[in-house]
Amino acid sequence: MSHDSHHAPVACKTELAPERSDLGLIRPDRTTGWLDWLTTVDHKKIGILYGAFAMFYFLVGGVEALAIRTQLARPDNDFVTARMYNQLFTMHGTTMIFLGVMPLSAAFFNFLVPLQIGARDVAFPRLNAFSLWTFVFGAFVLNASWFFEFAHLAGWFNSFEWHKALVYTDFAPANGWFSYAPLSGTFGQNGQALRFTGVGTDFWIIGIQVLGIASLAASFNFICTIINMRAKGMTMMRLPVFTWMTLVTAILIILAFPAITVALIELMFDRAFGANFFNPSAGGQPVLWQHLFWIFGHPEVYILVLPAMGIVSEVLPTFSGKSLFGYPIIVFSGAVIGFLGFAVWSHHMFTTGLGPVPTAAFSLLTMAIAVPTGVKIFNWLGTIWGGRVRFTPPMVLALGFIWMFMCGGFSGVMHSSAPADSQQQDSYFVIAHFHYVLLGGVLLGLMAGLYFWFPKIFGRMPNAPIAYIASGLVILGFNLAFGPMHYLGLAGQPRRTHTYHAGNGWETWNFVATIGAYILGIGVFLAFVNLVWTAFRGKKCSNDPWDGRTLEWSLPSPVPEYNFAQAPIVATRDAFFEDKHGTKRIGAENDGGEAGVHMPSQSWMPLLASAGFLFAGFGMPMMAMGIPHAGWIVVAGLGVLFIGIWLWALEGPGGYMLKTPAASGTPAPTETVAH
Amino acid sequence: MSDTAAAHEAPTSTGIDHKKLIMWLFLASDCMFFGTLISTHLLYRKLYPAGFTDAEGHQRFIQNLFNIELTSFSTFILLMSSFLMALAVSAMHKGQIKSFRRNVLGVIFFGLIFLGCQVFEFTHFYHQGLTIQNSVLGSTFYVLTGTHGTHVAIGVLWLILMYFYSFTGKLGGHMGALDVEVAGLYWHFVDIVWIIIFTAVYLVEYLGPNGIWGTGLPAVAK
Repeated sequence: MSHDSHHAPVACKTELAPERSDLGLIRPDRTTGWLDWLTTVDHKKIGILYGAFAMFYFLVGGVEALAIRTQLARPDNDFVTARMYNQLFTMHGTTMIFLGVMPLSAAFFNFLVPLQIGARDVAFPRLNAFSLWTFVFGAFVLNASWFFEFAHLAGWFNSFEWHKALVYTDFAPANGWFSYAPLSGTFGQNGQALRFTGVGTDFWIIGIQVLGIASLAASFNFICTIINMRAKGMTMMRLPVFTWMTLVTAILIILAFPAITVALIELMFDRAFGANFFNPSAGGQPVLWQHLFWIFGHPEVYILVLPAMGIVSEVLPTFSGKSLFGYPIIVFSGAVIGFLGFAVWSHHMFTTGLGPVPTAAFSLLTMAIAVPTGVKIFNWLGTIWGGRVRFTPPMVLALGFIWMFMCGGFSGVMHSSAPADSQQQDSYFVIAHFHYVLLGGVLLGLMAGLYFWFPKIFGRMPNAPIAYIASGLVILGFNLAFGPMHYLGLAGQPRRTHTYHAGNGWETWNFVATIGAYILGIGVFLAFVNLVWTAFRGKKCSNDPWDGRTLEWSLPSPVPEYNFAQAPIVATRDAFFEDKHGTKRIGAENDGGEAGVHMPSQSWMPLLASAGFLFAGFGMPMMAMGIPHAGWIVVAGLGVLFIGIWLWALEGPGGYMLKTPAASGTPAPTETVAH
Repeated sequence: MSDTAAAHEAPTSTGIDHKKLIMWLFLASDCMFFGTLISTHLLYRKLYPAGFTDAEGHQRFIQNLFNIELTSFSTFILLMSSFLMALAVSAMHKGQIKSFRRNVLGVIFFGLIFLGCQVFEFTHFYHQGLTIQNSVLGSTFYVLTGTHGTHVAIGVLWLILMYFYSFTGKLGGHMGALDVEVAGLYWHFVDIVWIIIFTAVYLVEYLGPNGIWGTGLPAVAK
């Protein structure tokens, strides 16, 4: 993706910032090739990388899901062992949430937010690269547990002393995605730290910790960007709804993640140093883990779903040819959902015996959160009402989102009633509920976003017939897979159990669910293949193929690295749509001038600092395995992290000037660069 | 000390510098972080007011363990370091680099005294029989105060690097003052958190004859 052809880069690079730091290190300035992708600070490229990794992990998590469904296809099955089954469902949940949905949302944040607010980059471009690579390495550490597991199964470790000393040998995490103590913790007096589970839990602890750092850094950056870098005239109530939901999500992340960070530190101290936070035999309270986890975990649900709601709020108006119905109410509802999200965590814990007053309070608050969600649904319906609806692939997926998410919402309200919930707890009914929310809701929303913005990202249009087929398969397969689980759950099938006996009346619907899961898998795979093919070989399309409403559609596709040749001045909501069809035009600041646009320099340092987490992340589970001298890997990792941050600080702000077409007097180019 | 690509040129939408805003956001997040740790400690104090049992099997009470005079002294030192930090920030805004260096050296020195007191305190408590492993109290106390100590240590390291960086002549002007101010925000926050910890972990143990939590025993057992 080179955009060098139509302007001279680097007008006065040396004048603004020395390329050479105090230590004589030179900052890279390639704009193509692998070196560029490793050192880039361009929010668009970082977004594409986030998206690529997220789609890869979606497929990994999908394979894990299909293995689970294959095992459950018929009673008393032995496709995988119970031990392997535990690891599969744990890694399926963890992968889908932390490595699939969150990074795919982050891909949209990265690519879209600066374009939608009329900015040239995020507030801290290098911090953004740091978030990306920290996520990549955190994901790597988490999934490396599979390699240890396979090596163990293949018997490669058998001759080692440390391996003979292990009591439990589940190398991949096996506690479920919320890793409840005491199963994930320890027992025994005076620091014996006897563990219930193997080093998989240590991989999980450090992996989630590193991923949390990535999410926190990204969220600080995006709040700062949205609050501080809006174009002239882009007031808060003119922000596109997707940007608003990004802001709410980022605020949720910075306030919710510290709880899991502390919980993970405490669990790590229990397992590694014999502390007693969750150790029941020394007075620790395992229920504290549940509280800390869900204080994070429930806002996390909204962290997952709000970006998808933002995407749908962009797709529906575009293909209904109307502005969003009740914009202020949609924004306010999103903020209320975010706020209430912090006040409902104990509805995951009704069966722990909270007492009547907290149970009633959390029940009521959980029911209350259905109100702003319902308001949003009605606003979306109001948006479609009376519009000229175009059933494009993104629109089909967005409509699917509304329908499926609503079903998930209904079963959610059922859970909010504590007596009903105590019957449904740990049954397949719960599985059905949150897959309707997270898959029928979030995945359909994110897929709608992919099909909606792919023409902007790559300047190429995804194949529509394949997109319709894939969408149909996803929606059909999804309902076949998870619809029956409502029944199975109410008929008593427990979740997280690797098999079931014949004669419970569960055989038929489990088989149907497995068929549905495979159809769903084929649908998602087809949709992703279509997208990947589009990115490289798809048909070229115009800059504004959907008659878009927000600022990003006013730019060439693919978007040039400086985004806006001249910073826009916004006079209204849906600025680009008004510019095309209304009376209020988008203005232009004459900010580039003769000097051109100020661009941030690339850097190795975010990658280097993140690599510290990679070493430290590998070292800590290896310490737990009892591998000799593994502690030094952790020390080395923290050293690399420190050196990375230190050199990063010494680099100084950097940057160079880039001549844009507007500054050099030529008209804005319609992108024709061959790929 | 960190990156802002166009921050020194383009005015921001709110008029607040990016660096200052992101530090405030980080501190908001850190509030939740310490809030969780302090809650853990207080929950367990309420649940197990009786303290801990040492290696010889004697029941120990936290009031007998604490050396409140020493901790008050280190708290005072940390408070005074915040005062010096404010002077350093002010000096930097006026472009008085020498005054900045003097004050920041004072902050570093006081920070190190605080850390020294904490190391002494931890060693002392350990020899008195409170370990991270022998009780829930030990776990929550050491992890909570140790995490705060880590924050102080990071702050000291940051200020030491900034002190030496000032000799390169590149720490100056608006951006230099901003960098120092951001470090100052962090330092003041760490200080305020200590005041909360000092109150919630140390001082409340002295309310009433058996502390605010009681001893969990029928008789006064001190």
